Amino acid sequence: MAIVVTSQLARKFQSKRNTVVALESVDLEVNEGEVFGLLGPNGAGKTTLIRILSTLLLPTSGKATVAGFDVDSEPEKVRPLINMASGAERAGYEFISARGNLWFFSQLYGIQNDIFKQRVALLSDKLELGGYIDKKLYALSTGYRQRMTIARAFINDPRVVFMDEPTIALDVMTARRIREFLVNEARESKRTIFLATHNMAETEAICDRVAIIDRGRILVCETPDSLKRNYGVPAYVMEVTPPPNSLSIFTSIPGVKGATSSLDEERGVARVKIVLDNEDLVDKIIAAPKNSKLRVLSSWRQEPTLEEVFVNLVGRGFTEREMESAN
Amino acid sequence: MYSRAWVRVRSTFGEPAWLAVNLSVPLLSSLAMALLYGSVGLSKYTGFAILGGIMLAFWGNVLWSMASQFNWDKEEGIFEIYLVSPAPITAILVGMSLGGILATLPSATLVAVIGWLFFSTSINPSWPSVILTFVLTLASLYAMGMLLSSLYLAYGREAESLNNAIGEPINLLSGLYFPSIGFGSPFPFTIQFIASLIPLTIGMDALRKSVFYASGVGSVWFDLVTLAVMAVVLLYLGDKALTALENRGRRQGTLVVRLR
Repeated sequence: MAIVVTSQLARKFQSKRNTVVALESVDLEVNEGEVFGLLGPNGAGKTTLIRILSTLLLPTSGKATVAGFDVDSEPEKVRPLINMASGAERAGYEFISARGNLWFFSQLYGIQNDIFKQRVALLSDKLELGGYIDKKLYALSTGYRQRMTIARAFINDPRVVFMDEPTIALDVMTARRIREFLVNEARESKRTIFLATHNMAETEAICDRVAIIDRGRILVCETPDSLKRNYGVPAYVMEVTPPPNSLSIFTSIPGVKGATSSLDEERGVARVKIVLDNEDLVDKIIAAPKNSKLRVLSSWRQEPTLEEVFVNLVGRGFTEREMESAN
Repeated sequence: MYSRAWVRVRSTFGEPAWLAVNLSVPLLSSLAMALLYGSVGLSKYTGFAILGGIMLAFWGNVLWSMASQFNWDKEEGIFEIYLVSPAPITAILVGMSLGGILATLPSATLVAVIGWLFFSTSINPSWPSVILTFVLTLASLYAMGMLLSSLYLAYGREAESLNNAIGEPINLLSGLYFPSIGFGSPFPFTIQFIASLIPLTIGMDALRKSVFYASGVGSVWFDLVTLAVMAVVLLYLGDKALTALENRGRRQGTLVVRLR
């Protein structure tokens, strides 16, 4: 059953100088108990969509409902059913313990003290907050602060939890613990987890379905496996030095769907991923750097991931898209 | 409401530096004024300075710890947690006010005890009138704080400049340390009229009458009614402004400012 529904949802931001289209004709249906991923580069419209769905922002046009209630005209009915957390927010008040902060936030939902105690014990156990629950917030590491933020987002037993980059800047172990927690909450408590992220590995690991968003438009919405099957194409990866200013020597080859690169600053090496139309192009790809100053250190073929899906659909990787938006 | 008050009190007493500032600023300001009065042979007015120090603690709390903390919450991402919850923003602000009053009581008490012990100031209070005036002054002051908070919702950091700009003029006009309206005021009628629009001015005037001249409720009834009306009007305006600005913020996308 769909619990979050959007129909032709659009949002524009107007300033004196220009108008920015943040969302355009977004149609989505997110089911109850689903871990739903909204994947896109920075500036794609993920946070705008979460803000509309969590009643912080009104759409310019179109409609969005959560549990059947309109987020525009019935925010007071939506708010008790939802919660949200972001990787960028401050966890709470520094000079108060994690437990004290959680109690305060529980009071925003009018939760009785005995129920609060049960929930905080359960959440503390699941998120392994343990001995840190009674420490003041300023004494907690980034990882434990984020665990507290996640616990805060579940303190009111919400039906839908909106998460905006919840594992950003976290160590591998903490990020994995949080991902496991989110999946368990969806499976055991039939909660819907609406996850906005640009972390493709995270999306692939935990999401039941993924919508790929670019420049305010939903490009596709399927399961990660079906996305890779339907839109994934083989990629050829090369480690080259010096890092190239442009990827045109690869993208100009007929049959190349797109390319993306990431920089290894320590080694002064760029890892260029070239998404191909078909495997026959490999020889041409390998030959391309010979006519330039690029030196190829290593190269290999890679099975399709969500990154190849995005490059296939857009023609560029997240990094290139974000640089375009910044310019 | 109660929980936000608890956060305010716990935060104040959880940080020794804040506590020291809260305690020392009103105390030192009022002691300086009291010493000045004493040094120019106006010892009988040192009580005015002590009373001013007590109320300065609360006024400072309205300006800095309430209105600006709202902006701090907004910039740190906590404000959006409030908005996403079903709790009304007005209740959160009333909670901040109550917490502010409770957190300020120790510094106000310290000024009173040290001031009156050190300067042996004589008082002649009408306690029912003192208590009623004090409560209504705080109610109107914190209602004004709520209205100022709505400015932060609308203008964010730009409101901080306004806060800075109005702080000292209000200190002067409200007569924290001297009578700024009525008998003994150094100001012309026009300035006195403007000053009397500030709740702190009416409150300070009525408090001086109640604390030092034994003016009962019957004598300061007009001040009390004025303060009560101001409290109700400011509370109403604050509530309406917050609702209107929240709706405007949802339309324009200005509710959330996060420092990444």
